[in-house]
Amino acid sequence: MSVCRPARCLLSAGFLPKPQATPKRSLHASTIRPARRRRPHYPSIKAEDLKLLNQAAETQFPSYDKSETNILSKRYTPSQIAAIKAAETAIDAKDLLTQSQLRTDPWRLPYADDLSEVDPITDQPEKLSPEDIPGPHAFRDNNDVERDAAIARVTNEQLAKFYPDGIPDGELSPEEERKLHEAMDAAFMQATLDPRTSFHSSNPRTVAALADPRHSIVAPSLPRIENRMVRQTRRLSSEEEEDPRQKRLLQYLDWDKKKLRSIRVKTLVVHGVTNQTRMGKIRSMYYLTIAGNQDGLLGVGEGKSVEPDEGRKQSVMAAIRNMRPVPRYENRTTFGDLEWKVGATKVQLMARPPGFGLRTQHLIFELARAAGLQDLAARTPRSRNKMNVIKATWEALCNQKLPDEIARARGKKLVDVRKVYYGGSVH
Amino acid sequence: MSLVNLAHVCSHLQNASQARLGLTSIPVSKLHVNLMLGLQREGFLSSVTLGSTVPPKPYILQTTVDPAQHEKLAQTLADAPWAAYSPEPSENLPGIDAHLHELSVPQNPARRRLWLGLKYWNNEPVLKHMKLISKPTRRVWLTGEDLSKITRTRPSSYVKGLTHPGECMFLTTDRGILEARECVERRLGGMALCRIWG
Repeated sequence: MSVCRPARCLLSAGFLPKPQATPKRSLHASTIRPARRRRPHYPSIKAEDLKLLNQAAETQFPSYDKSETNILSKRYTPSQIAAIKAAETAIDAKDLLTQSQLRTDPWRLPYADDLSEVDPITDQPEKLSPEDIPGPHAFRDNNDVERDAAIARVTNEQLAKFYPDGIPDGELSPEEERKLHEAMDAAFMQATLDPRTSFHSSNPRTVAALADPRHSIVAPSLPRIENRMVRQTRRLSSEEEEDPRQKRLLQYLDWDKKKLRSIRVKTLVVHGVTNQTRMGKIRSMYYLTIAGNQDGLLGVGEGKSVEPDEGRKQSVMAAIRNMRPVPRYENRTTFGDLEWKVGATKVQLMARPPGFGLRTQHLIFELARAAGLQDLAARTPRSRNKMNVIKATWEALCNQKLPDEIARARGKKLVDVRKVYYGGSVH
Repeated sequence: MSLVNLAHVCSHLQNASQARLGLTSIPVSKLHVNLMLGLQREGFLSSVTLGSTVPPKPYILQTTVDPAQHEKLAQTLADAPWAAYSPEPSENLPGIDAHLHELSVPQNPARRRLWLGLKYWNNEPVLKHMKLISKPTRRVWLTGEDLSKITRTRPSSYVKGLTHPGECMFLTTDRGILEARECVERRLGGMALCRIWG
């Protein structure tokens, strides 16, 4: 039997005697780098600072007294309370002051708050779940007897809110009597609307939870803040947004908003136009709108802007500003046949008998309707360019020759035979 | 009965109105004279004068009148307007003298011209459009019934109705050149010459 013993090197560190460590003399003026890095865990605190620190710790993190610990027992279980106490004894308040830092992470609250109170605006209200109701949860609809009893109870509760010092009895002045009656009516109304009066349960806490806002899924209404700034900036919901351009137009025309709303406005032509500049192509929207009061006034306006809304508003304002009177025969049609040409667009408008209607193309129809014409026929024999059709029709309607003017020019009497001889009949 | 010349007259009057002329001249012919007189009756022309190739001097400018006399003349005319047309000179009208109303009509008929005074009102000419109905290639004859319809804006016998306010149509009839409405009054028919409006 050969047992091999591992060959142990005689030169290994364990067997050879260690040489005596010669004392080395420090040749550096300051401490060497390893020694410099060795700093104490806690910096030394001066005695004066310690006193101040103790005082600050006392004020910022006071210890609980008996009444406060009793309140804790209402919220936490005994094991939880024991854990809290153990943690508090382990943590020194002075350490909290010296070591705790302000948060700089992106998820910190942007304002200083210890989160001990529930802010009604910023925070969601504390909500309870059905598990917080002790006892059975079953409930059913009330019968009449139970309902009456419940209403009486709740009415008394609500009335107590009106008269916390008790309901006044004995001889009352008419004013007080009236107030009492009003309070009773209001309390009764509130009781009938209260859910506690509609349902019955063997467990009274179930019924109480129905009216408890902490159990309700409806969030409570926001509180009304009252300060000077809020009062100044408060806007009524009925107040409309003020457009300075519209305001100026109304001032210029001396109209009120009601009259402006009675004007019939319609945008008939919308298309994009491009302007080639050094910077490139600038695309704008062009709008052509007509405006009329349907009783002899008609205007046509154009607007152009990079923003569509802006261009449209411009055109509407221009149309209203450019309204001109349109003479009408019997307030329903033109005086005879008209012909007008704008560019290559010729428009022929023909007067028609009553009841004929507006048998024209859509653009001329809109113009005639806005102007208050009811019987008209029209032709556009040449170009039908929308813009020019509208402009030509508008010019034609505004520049009609009245029989009155013709009579004056010629020095002859012109008589409407239809009215005078035929009594207004057509056939 | 030259409708070609009438066509020229129509064009010329339209052009003259466009150019805002006060006086224009057209050749003299029976048709032209009667038609122009008809136009004057309807109020489209202010004056129809026979003259030469040179425009006639306006009546008022034929003599310069003293301002005081002018006032007196104006007053007399205001009271009795028909006195302006009387051929004999009277004491009431010191400023007006018949022999001063110069009418130099040339002997040579070719040199005679009919001078028309055009009217304007509110920056617009009174006679703006004048269109032939009967053309040299096609004559249009209208009966009394046709004219009844035409004057009531309805077309008849391939002729459009009078739809423009104050439109007039002249026809040549047995009784001379009359306006369409005058023909309807007399229940006459005839050859339609031209229609005028504006």
